[in-house]
Amino acid sequence: MSDQTRTNISAKPNTLLTAWGLLIALSLGSALLTALNLPPKLTGGLVLLLALLKSRLILARYLDLAHAPRWLSGFTTTLTLFAIVLFGLFLV
Amino acid sequence: MSDQTAQQDSLIDELPGELMMWVLIISELLVFGAGLLVFMAVRLTDPEGFAEAQSHLYRTGAALNTVVLITSGFLAAQALAWRRTAERLKARLALIAAAALGVVFLVIKGAEYAGKAAQGISYETHPFFMFYYLLTGFHAAHVVAGVAILLLVSWRDSPRNIETGAQFWHMVDLVWVLLFPVVYLLG
Repeated sequence: MSDQTRTNISAKPNTLLTAWGLLIALSLGSALLTALNLPPKLTGGLVLLLALLKSRLILARYLDLAHAPRWLSGFTTTLTLFAIVLFGLFLV
Repeated sequence: MSDQTAQQDSLIDELPGELMMWVLIISELLVFGAGLLVFMAVRLTDPEGFAEAQSHLYRTGAALNTVVLITSGFLAAQALAWRRTAERLKARLALIAAAALGVVFLVIKGAEYAGKAAQGISYETHPFFMFYYLLTGFHAAHVVAGVAILLLVSWRDSPRNIETGAQFWHMVDLVWVLLFPVVYLLG
């Protein structure tokens, strides 16, 4: 194992903990949004945006696609298009 | 080997973990994605009815389940990091804790279903509930499978096994963070 690899592995727990903290914060953000009396369309859009951010974090950190940027970019693009279609159906 | 084939090989080689797990992850995302799109399309036929039906859902429990799955996913990912640094006991305990949180998810989901049954709500009550039971029930079945896989890899705990088991669990997590806002929040 190279020194660089060893450094990456030992740094991973902090990266995971940060990702977990962000995911919790984004989930609390969703809960807060639905508790506020914002216009439903705005709430819907923001909730979908937060879901998109959460899914990207899971892909990048939990599923480790941060080390496969082309795949992460492909998943992010596809999920963003999916969220846009969902939001479009919500607005109709 | 042509340049194009070499490029494809390197792209596939970039994927962490088992290739077949990625095939499964993409397949499951497509299945649940299609289900959610049909759900939103059918909602157009009766938006008021869907909103009224959705108001009967136990949102707090579902939000709590999001925290439960996210934390469980963290433990599964952490278990792999620990196993790779040969901290085997920590890794096993983290996997067992991740599986236990999966059981917590199922208990909360079971309470939610029991609450609906007590109110006389079934999949026949409204099209919303047909999709609700179909999507959340199919996801819950994956949670059951995931709990079994996490326990299995805590026993047969090679780094490769743990990575594969954790990949399945993260897929369950990923599907839930997409399913939850659509079914529970977009009223």
